[in-house]
Order: sequence, then C-alpha cells, then structure tokens
Amino acid sequence: MFSMLKQVGDYAKGTIEAAKYIGQGLSVTFDHMRRRPITVQYPYEKLIPSERYRGRIHYEFDKCISCEVCVRVCPINLPVVDWEFNKASKKKELKHYSIDFGVCIFCGNCVEYCPTNCLSMTEEYELATYDRHELNYDNVALGRLPYKVTQDPMVTPLRELNYLPKGVIEPHDLPEGSQRAGKHPQEIVEEAKSSS
Amino acid sequence: MNSGIDLQARFIESLTQLGIPNGAAKALWIPFPSFLMIIGATVGVLVVVWLERKISAAAQQRIGPEYAGPLGVLQPVADGIKLVFKEDIIPAKADPWLFTLGPVLVVLPVFISYLIVPFGQNLVVTDLNVGIFFWIALSSIAPIGLLMAGYASNNKYSLLGGLRAAAQSISYEIPLALSVLAIVMMSNSLSTIDIVQQQSGYGILGWNIWRQPVGFFIFWIAALAECERLPFDLPEAEEEIVAGYQTEYAGMKFALFYLGSYVNLVLSALVFAILYLGGWEFPVPLDKLAGWLGVSEESSWLQVITASLGITMTVLKAYFLVFIAVLMRWTVPRVRIDQLLDLGWKFLLPVSLVNLLLTAALKLAFPVAFGG
Repeated sequence: MFSMLKQVGDYAKGTIEAAKYIGQGLSVTFDHMRRRPITVQYPYEKLIPSERYRGRIHYEFDKCISCEVCVRVCPINLPVVDWEFNKASKKKELKHYSIDFGVCIFCGNCVEYCPTNCLSMTEEYELATYDRHELNYDNVALGRLPYKVTQDPMVTPLRELNYLPKGVIEPHDLPEGSQRAGKHPQEIVEEAKSSS
Repeated sequence: MNSGIDLQARFIESLTQLGIPNGAAKALWIPFPSFLMIIGATVGVLVVVWLERKISAAAQQRIGPEYAGPLGVLQPVADGIKLVFKEDIIPAKADPWLFTLGPVLVVLPVFISYLIVPFGQNLVVTDLNVGIFFWIALSSIAPIGLLMAGYASNNKYSLLGGLRAAAQSISYEIPLALSVLAIVMMSNSLSTIDIVQQQSGYGILGWNIWRQPVGFFIFWIAALAECERLPFDLPEAEEEIVAGYQTEYAGMKFALFYLGSYVNLVLSALVFAILYLGGWEFPVPLDKLAGWLGVSEESSWLQVITASLGITMTVLKAYFLVFIAVLMRWTVPRVRIDQLLDLGWKFLLPVSLVNLLLTAALKLAFPVAFGG
C-alpha cells in the first residue's frame, strides 16, 4: 500500500517536473519573439566574409614551381599539376594547373603548405553552376580575383556579428567609422612598438 | 437576464413588414448564418496561416512572409490560389474513389462543427441541445477520412500515416470527451449556449478554468493531438514517413487537407474558449457594469456594443490559444508513437477519470459553486 502511494507520488512529481520544463522552454521561445530578425536579404544584402574566410582558391601561375606539395597535402590529391621536364634549361616547365571545386572541401592545406605562396584563399563563395564540369577551374579561372562585396553598387554590405561595435547586433545603418569591439591587430603592433 | 441581439427575429420581422409571408421569411433566413459561418471559418484559416508563419518566423528570429501584401498578409491567399490552379493528380495504382472521398470526409465534419460555435446569446447558427456532443461525434469522423486517404494512396508512407492518425484520434478522443463531460456535469447541459451561460455573471472569476484546472490542461493536450499539432504530429512526421497520408496528394485535394487541419485548429481553440474561458463573456460582467452606470439593458447601442464585444472576445480568446499552439510547436519536440499512446492511455485517461469523479463529488458537496 505504502509503496503504491510512493509510486503515485513519484509519478506526480515527474509530471510536475515535465510541466516545469515545458514552461521553461515556452519562456525561451517567447523571449526570442522580441529579438530582432537576423535575416540578410541575400541578393540585395550580403555579409562581408571575415578575413579568415576559406572561399575559392586563388592561384598565381607565374609563382608556381611545380613542386606538387599541394597535391601531397591534399586529402584527396585534388590539384592537377601538368608539367614537363625541360632538358635544355634543366627545369620543370609548368603547362597547366587545375583544381576541381566540385570535389574540393576548402580545407586550406594546399594554401598552408605552398612554398612560394602561389595559392591563397579568396572570399568568393558563389560558385553555383548549371554543369558540374564548369567547377573544374583551370589556371586562368583560378587566377581571377573575386568581386568585393563592399565595392558592388548593387549590394548593401553587412558586417558579421563579430565585426559590430560592442553591444550592437544590428548591422544596418551603422554610424560612420564605427569599429568592432577590442583592438585591431595593427593597433596592438603599434602599442608593442611604442612600449619597447 | 437580457438575451441581447436577436438578428433572426429582427430579420423575419422586417421581411414580414414588407409583405412576405412568415414561412418564406424564415426560409430566406436559413442559408444566411451558415453561409456567413463558412466565410468566417475560411477567413479565420487565412488569418491563422499568416499568424502561424509570422509567429514561427519571430520565434526563429526570421522575418517571414513580407512581399505579398502589407506584412505578407496575402501570402495564404497566394498559396491557396496556387493550390487551386495546380494539376489534380491521382496516382495510377490508387483507388480513385476513396482517394477523392478521403479529403472531403476530413474537411466536411470540421466545417459542420461550426454550427454549434456561439459568438453571443443569439449569435449561433443552431443552438442544439446536444451541441458539444455533436462536436465530439463529428470529430470522430475525420480519422475515417484520414484512414481512407492513407489506404487509397497505395503508398506505404500514406498507409502508416493514416494508421497513426486513426490510432491517435481514437486514443485522444476519450480523455477529450471525459474532460468535456466534467464541464457538462457542472452546467447540466450539453448546449454550448448553456455552458457559457453557466460561466457568466462574475466576469473572469466565473470562468470554468478556475473550477476545472485539470480538465483545462487535459483538454488542451487532447485537442492538440486531435489537430495533429506539433508535439503530436506523428501522422505527418516528415522525417519518418514523408508527409503521412498527404504524401500522394497535390493541388486542391492537398489544399482540402491543409484547410481542414487549420479549420480544425481554430475550431478546437473556439470550443476551448467556450468551455473554459467563458466564451463571449468579457472579463468584467458587462450587464452589471451597465446597471452600475445606469444604462438600460434594452438600449439598442448597448446591445450592439455587447454583441460586437462578444464576437471580439470569442475570437480573441481563440486566437490566444492558437498563439500558444504555435509557440508550443517551436518549443517541444515530437513524441514517439509509443510515448504518445502511453501519455494518452496511461496518463490522460486515468487523470481525466479522476477529474470527472472529483467534479461529481464537488458538485454534490458544494452545489452552489459547481452547478448543483
């Protein structure tokens, strides 16, 4: 008899607890309703990618020494380095270089290990095509620079949350010259120089 | 007790004054309220769809529909028009008759249930003396339609969805009916008008929510399950069974399901407001207020004000409940089918039975407060 009462009590306690948790959850969702939407009206507004953004890879043909380090560090040996040994000059002669961005995972290993810095990351992310073979970029396509969001007259550039002043979460209509919270790297360098 | 505006009597009176015989005047009146109710229900659905999308967007820090009309209010209209003009596809191996009959059987009872929803003393299509029982009876037709749609689609996901819908509706009907029964016991009547009457007189303090707090929650949970709203939307759980019984439907037939589910939500909220939140009653007893201010109950402007306030209050209470349902949708995760049936049979059913017995005991002990 007593154990059954305890069972009923435990069950009631569990029910009250569950109701409490649902109430807490409801208060969270209710609180979200008074927050501003974080929508970016995409083709008209775009976020400014951060400086470490890993977008499409940029490649400089003239700097490349055909060492194939990028191929070796690539998780799937993706870059295609087409070179021939020139017997007269006793040097590798680079003919073609290509990366297929339909397969690339943008890990950035090639950029990290390139000895001559001929590979770099851009902030371009709009790579959509109608045909996946168009994603196979040759050395000419890899050498193109993306159009900057901040310079596009059709687009309102919006800053990401990290780049807004302290306490601000609204990227629209920021006052002129407003800076993100904390010191910029160049300011830290200057302070270090002046103190030493 | 003043009965407020009686539109029917006025309408027939004015027509007989024009020389039309009494019977013809009555016949002219008959289609009018039902037509108005169908339009009201459809507009209510458009509003609910818009609200659902806007509130969902707000809860997820999005904007929601924005371009179709001011604040996107025309978005549900646009959706509806799109669905009307889409091709009506019946799968080759489906049963064409059952496939067509399914959505009709789901939608019709919901619309018919609007007959018993009162917006004022005389602002109701028909005051049936079995009103609330009529609603419960009609709501158990819908699962037949769902099962029919699921079976006729000739699709495993549809069949699973239909079976789930049937199991869910049948098991949540019982606690729903039991909690309604407790209310009926207190008001000594099945008529929706009488149920609201019994709550009137003391403003917000007289509402059934204070006398039936347990029934209030049971009814709400069961109503959510009946409408297949989110914590209980297993019949159309898209991660598991695509869209349940709606999988094979397109165009107008899909629109019927869509319409039916939202009309059902509004209807449940309205019935909920009538049973527990005092229907058309204002939080302050209006006729007493008029008495204190020295306004005659018979004055026509007061009657117009109380009638319009009554409609506003009913709709406002219903939409508050719809708001809670939408908020609930983005708060609670979906329950599993075994959890659903556990909750229905092992928790709601015994609790609602105890609630019913307790109400009966309280009615015997305190007949003043619990409608002796």
